[in-house]
Amino acid sequence: MRPLDWAVLAASLLVIVLYGLWRGRGSNTMESYLLAGKTMPWYAMALSIMATQASAITFISTTGQAYVDGMRFVQFYFGLPIAMVILSATAVPIFHRARVYTAYEYLENRFDPKTRALASVVFLLQRGLSVGLTIYAPALVLSVILGWSDRVTTMIMGFSVIIYTVLGGIKSVTWTDVQQMLIIFFGLVVSLVTVIALLPQGVSLLDAMYLAGSAGRLNAVDLTFDLGNYNLWSGLIGGGFLALSYFGCDQSQVQRYLTGRSIAQSKLGLLFNAMAKVPMQFFILFIGAMVFVFYLFTQPPLLFHQAGLRSIQGPEYRVQYEPLEARYQAAFERRREAALGLVEARHRGDAARYTASEAAYRAAQKDLDSARRQGALMVERATGEKNFHDTNYIFLSFVTRYVPAGIVGLVIAVIFAAAMSSISGEVNSLATVSVIDIYRRHVRRDATDRHYLTASRLLTAFWGLYAVAFAGWAKGLGSLIEAVNIVGSLFYGTLLGVFVLAFFFKRVGGNAAFAGMLAGEAAILAAFSLTGISFLWYNVIGCLVAIGAALALSAAAPAAFPPPKPGA
Amino acid sequence: MNADRGELPDEPPPFLGTWPRVYLTVIVYLAVVIALFYWFTRWFS
Repeated sequence: MRPLDWAVLAASLLVIVLYGLWRGRGSNTMESYLLAGKTMPWYAMALSIMATQASAITFISTTGQAYVDGMRFVQFYFGLPIAMVILSATAVPIFHRARVYTAYEYLENRFDPKTRALASVVFLLQRGLSVGLTIYAPALVLSVILGWSDRVTTMIMGFSVIIYTVLGGIKSVTWTDVQQMLIIFFGLVVSLVTVIALLPQGVSLLDAMYLAGSAGRLNAVDLTFDLGNYNLWSGLIGGGFLALSYFGCDQSQVQRYLTGRSIAQSKLGLLFNAMAKVPMQFFILFIGAMVFVFYLFTQPPLLFHQAGLRSIQGPEYRVQYEPLEARYQAAFERRREAALGLVEARHRGDAARYTASEAAYRAAQKDLDSARRQGALMVERATGEKNFHDTNYIFLSFVTRYVPAGIVGLVIAVIFAAAMSSISGEVNSLATVSVIDIYRRHVRRDATDRHYLTASRLLTAFWGLYAVAFAGWAKGLGSLIEAVNIVGSLFYGTLLGVFVLAFFFKRVGGNAAFAGMLAGEAAILAAFSLTGISFLWYNVIGCLVAIGAALALSAAAPAAFPPPKPGA
Repeated sequence: MNADRGELPDEPPPFLGTWPRVYLTVIVYLAVVIALFYWFTRWFS
């Protein structure tokens, strides 16, 4: 980082906080603080929805994933537009007309207090676990890249968000999300232009695409059906259910479209997301694929995680490391030669040379991948870390080493912006559910609006501080971080199931819905602990079991699981 | 905020006339995007 980069980064962070404070002024009633007085236009909601979903680690990780494994991850988002259409037709008008602050408040109107309480607690548990990681994961990566302590990067992100979220409420959150999303879009375009400009002379964008494609890095669509990997079907079905759950039942997203000035504006916000999300993810992955092409001509390190690499460069590992490094360098040289041969053969239309170069290129790539895998295994043995990988460090390592001054600061600002937009949304929604579904419903029922506004501010500060503290604690979790991440995905299916029951099965009452939720959760936990099914399918399982169990109980024992009373 | 259903009208979309047409456009758009990505995958592999 050079002085210009620091200036760009500092200015970006300062502008985000000041803009948030300015936009949040006048949030002095509970409705304006939690729902922006229902005044938001569609474009603000759309960008806020996208910004909340695009966490920093997704951004860092996605580019790295394309480098390592190609673009197949884009299929994960194929179900999202379908989910947006379903939610626009169902959840948006229902939530708006119910005039609720939270999605779970609606469950009491439709079922009973215990179903609302269970859904609220499930949300608080799930989001409470994930919010610390939303800060910690990018803070850790940025700390390695910037050479700071992860405590410092955590504090910068955490306290910047707390300042404007506590003072300005959802108005600040939404408008800073808009600003952060615009910074992200700009940063993405600049990143792609930069990486293409850094390709060697004589290698055009089209050449780069052929080179990436020949190495399997442009594999955006896979038609094979497989429960364990990303493919068209898991993306459409599993990804669709996940998007339905996330956007339909997770307060951090529901609250975004509850701020809309009308049902139509909220629908347009979701449908814009439906149109923009898949191309945006494709674009991010494409940047990663172009970084892969850049490293065809500039030797990459064996591992991008510097600390991991250093752990196997010491004298005790020299006997294994040096031959591995030599093999890696030789494979790189062979791949570089083959890549140049491929480009030349393509330009000359020499089919025979093209085929030969492509075979050599793919063989060298296999050797490189194998050397990297072996390096990662050595790090695991040296450090005791399980499942070591350097995917999250590839893009930022490229940026800090090869990108011109000023743009580095911009890209780091993009990472901060992406992290802050997700954290602010999560903190704001946690506070809203805590105030509306727990405090106002079970602790203090008839206080003044001013009292609840103060409670909302205090609980926002509490969840912000909790997130910072939890991020510090997450540091000690080591490999358990992955387990905690999976825990976050264990609850969505059940929540989706109970909302589907609420919207579409009018004969199902509160007892059956509550029992269905418990059955759905049991099914997800069984799938998680007893099978190797990908987490994407947990949402399908949880949702279907919750619905099936509630319907079966309503039919089999109507006395114990009665339908709702008329007018409920 | 208690349920106060039916008060808020569902306005028509600013384009295409009805919401079902807008939804259909989004689904067709998705199908086109997937088809383009599939072609992209095949072409460059």
